[in-house]
Amino acid sequence: MAVSWLARLAACAPVPVFPALGMRGEEALYRLALSPEIKLVDSPRHASLLLVAGGVPPSMQQALRRVHDQFPAPFTTLWYRSTPLVELPRAAVTTVDSLDALPGALVESHGSLLRNTVGHSPRLLPDAPPHPWQGLGDDGHGGEGMMGGVPYGRPMAMPPTEDLRDGLALDVLTFRLGPFFPLWPPGLEAEVILQGDIIQQFSVQSSPFPRALAPVFHEAREQSVAIAALERARARHHLQALFHALHLAGLEGLARDALRLADRCPSGDIALLAKWFKTFERRMKRRGFFALHLPERGALRQEQAERLGGFAARAAGIDRDARTEDDGYRRLAFATITQQAGDTRARWRQRLAEIAQAFDLAARAQRDDMRTAQTDAVETPRGAWRDSRPGGTSPLLEDLLPGLEWGEALASLASLELAALSPWPREERAETQMGGAA
Amino acid sequence: MELLLFFVILILSLGAGLLLQWWPSRHHPMPTYPQRAPFLGGGLPDTHAWSRFHVRYYPMALLLIAFEMEMMFMYPWAVVYVAQGMKAVMEMGMFLAILSVGILYGWREGVFRWQ
Repeated sequence: MAVSWLARLAACAPVPVFPALGMRGEEALYRLALSPEIKLVDSPRHASLLLVAGGVPPSMQQALRRVHDQFPAPFTTLWYRSTPLVELPRAAVTTVDSLDALPGALVESHGSLLRNTVGHSPRLLPDAPPHPWQGLGDDGHGGEGMMGGVPYGRPMAMPPTEDLRDGLALDVLTFRLGPFFPLWPPGLEAEVILQGDIIQQFSVQSSPFPRALAPVFHEAREQSVAIAALERARARHHLQALFHALHLAGLEGLARDALRLADRCPSGDIALLAKWFKTFERRMKRRGFFALHLPERGALRQEQAERLGGFAARAAGIDRDARTEDDGYRRLAFATITQQAGDTRARWRQRLAEIAQAFDLAARAQRDDMRTAQTDAVETPRGAWRDSRPGGTSPLLEDLLPGLEWGEALASLASLELAALSPWPREERAETQMGGAA
Repeated sequence: MELLLFFVILILSLGAGLLLQWWPSRHHPMPTYPQRAPFLGGGLPDTHAWSRFHVRYYPMALLLIAFEMEMMFMYPWAVVYVAQGMKAVMEMGMFLAILSVGILYGWREGVFRWQ
């Protein structure tokens, strides 16, 4: 009696969902982040539903099994535009293909789970320690005396080693992170060697999944498109990236506001959007978002910035933008914005300035119905798209991150766009509205 | 008698605490090893979670305590030594013997070796 009453009460609470993002799974994340009945969590330990959004390549299915097995029982799974793992029983699997039906399906699954009318997901991996302790000595303390032996072939950290911060050499910790780590781009898998909280080595094992852009960027490569639509899509893209950074910084309310603003970008009144964005930017500054990013952290060298292109290059002082070559933009007196420092903070300043500029350009272009004049080069939020699409640049992290503290490294990663550009545009209900609004 | 009573109370309260902890989870098995592994977004740790983290100040702290305590006791001892005589020498001898065990242990661990 009491249990059923508690279960009913629990079913009324927001559904704790851990999203494992596959290819093109971000749209589900952005949608659910704004659903009041869903609570997105960053660890399976706090969730009772596993949402797999987007396709998961076969090489990453073992990693998905590991994430799946880390949920506390009872839990169930929901697959959005994804193929469920074959070993899962049908009763523990719900598949959804419509973005609109997704929040409802999650709430329904959670309710059924608590009422015991849906099958609990079983364990998929054998119940064995992944790395049994192989130390020496009675207590496995690793050898003789205080200095220990070399379990796993890891010798005790002893000077002289490379001085990363203060000359205090610590034991190194090696682990592989990703591809479903929620605080960095989906698909990115890396082997990290930490010394204390400093990154000693960062080697990328697999690149992030290609990022799909709004269809208008793809159209702009084929025909003349409305500049207003292009700029609205650009602002939307940067605001969605800002959502991740604000979430990482723990500014949840602001993160959701960034997404709300992004959602209004395709069809909202442009003057209102610009006004809301100004207020939003002020709130961001007041809440100390920029103070979180210390100067010179995650600073790109000149050649790295050039390789990345786009806003990251402009944040490092490289005055390059494909929009300057377009007659349509020239008529709008478009001028490139640049920063000098090239670090994490400069990249966010650049992005915010580019969002404000996009609203301004969209307002003027909409008034005069301006269109792009060339299709040879399009400046996407990821960089210039000329003969070939901007490719993945994640190996750059191997140079950039060592020496940074873990928090600084994650903040630097959030400020960059390292995924390749997907050959297919993003398909969204809101995108079709955008064409109409433009 | 009082001591026995205290002992019984201690045993009873400890037993009640353990029972309270065990009772709700008596039918629940331990979580599986994959569930207990650290969450790495699908990644795996390369090593056992029992990672050695060297407390670098430990030998230095040991040495400081050994010599500092010695000095702290020796100053007042020097004042009363004349009055107390042989008894004070014996007491100081015992105290130094205990401290020197710590110093010998530190020596074995390489405290005096500059690395």
